Amino acid sequence: MNLKTLLAAAQAQILWADPSHESADALHVVAADLMSDVLTMDLERPLLLTSLATEQAVRTAHVVGAVAVLVANGKTPPPEMVALAHKLGLPLARTALPKFDAAVALGKALGC
Amino acid sequence: MNPIPISAEQSPLLFLELLYKLRVRDVMARDLVTIRRDATMRELQRLMQARRVSGVPVVENGRLFGIVSIEDLLQALDAQRMDEPVANFMAASVVTIEDDMPLAIAISYFNKYEYRRFPVLDARGEAVGIVTARSINTRLLVELFRELARIENQYVLPLSENASCSFQTFRVARSDFENAGSAATEIKNVLQKRGIDPKIIRRVAIAAYELEMNLVVHSDGGTLTFRADEGEVQLIAKDQGPGIADVELAMQEGWTTANDWVKSLGFGAGMGLPNARRVSDEFHIASEPGQGTTVTVRDVLPPRPLQKRSKNRPPDRRRV
Repeated sequence: MNLKTLLAAAQAQILWADPSHESADALHVVAADLMSDVLTMDLERPLLLTSLATEQAVRTAHVVGAVAVLVANGKTPPPEMVALAHKLGLPLARTALPKFDAAVALGKALGC
Repeated sequence: MNPIPISAEQSPLLFLELLYKLRVRDVMARDLVTIRRDATMRELQRLMQARRVSGVPVVENGRLFGIVSIEDLLQALDAQRMDEPVANFMAASVVTIEDDMPLAIAISYFNKYEYRRFPVLDARGEAVGIVTARSINTRLLVELFRELARIENQYVLPLSENASCSFQTFRVARSDFENAGSAATEIKNVLQKRGIDPKIIRRVAIAAYELEMNLVVHSDGGTLTFRADEGEVQLIAKDQGPGIADVELAMQEGWTTANDWVKSLGFGAGMGLPNARRVSDEFHIASEPGQGTTVTVRDVLPPRPLQKRSKNRPPDRRRV
């Protein structure tokens, strides 16, 4: 599903993304705060939904080939996290929704 | 020919510093093999064979009287004078060197004189050792390696890359969460440039990330080395400690020694090693408490379809 549409469904505010990334597709959603868990999942092109607002969330997303990181629970990613997302070319967004609600919204949009 | 081909003018500064920092006493052989003046040349022959030396200082009570070499022995053999005392064959005027002189002087002696060994005298004039090209070179190598290791520790080693192979070593510091994962990111980028299957890149990147996080979280610091060629990608995570007491236990999913602070960063769930094994074709871990841990993982690359020949191919012979 189109990443921009998907993020809109979770009422996300895009903090960084280049135009080409907004038209990218996300096939799955991985919702996790434990990055160790993210690293054990074999999903292609997932969107990482997390309440971990640190650079490690971006690094982990990059390593597993995620298409974007969405930070939930109304957290504001620190500038270093945004800078790293920019450096790695990985779209970064935030949403005021609690993680569960964001997950439900993303699931509905994906037709789960 | 110079036995020690070192120029004091053209060597790197670090090396020159070594030449002046090290003293003769640092490079001399201390287990000095000596002989008395009244010993026979036959005894000298046995001594040389037993101790595998080709030159022996003639010393009595610490005082140096001369030096006998294998050439003197050959002369005695030739003249059938093996029962005569060493005193009849030794060179009585010996070029000696003092133990607190800088190594640079010792090296200049080798180039200035024809001799291959110089007895070393201490401040009291007693023979305390001997310098040979071998004793100098051995010590210099040890010092140079130490110096190289020190310099290496200050620099990020550059990527060495060509069409057939990429190779790089990353230094990973203990508890450096700010940079944790940057080696894995870098490795992923290099693999992408090599045009490797994204699925395999993902596996390697995950293994690299897990190993890198382990170095940051658990080790006293170490290195992550990766090597990619046409056939495989290899990662080696090596640290200097503290080592794992029970490797089998550490390989169990969910077993962890990480603290809460590490866990607050989303790590330390005890999945690192098992997950690194999961995403590799070959996995090997060796660890010793107090020594350190080395983890090696390999991912095999499928053979690539043959590429079209380049434009530079030589002309077809049949058509010439």
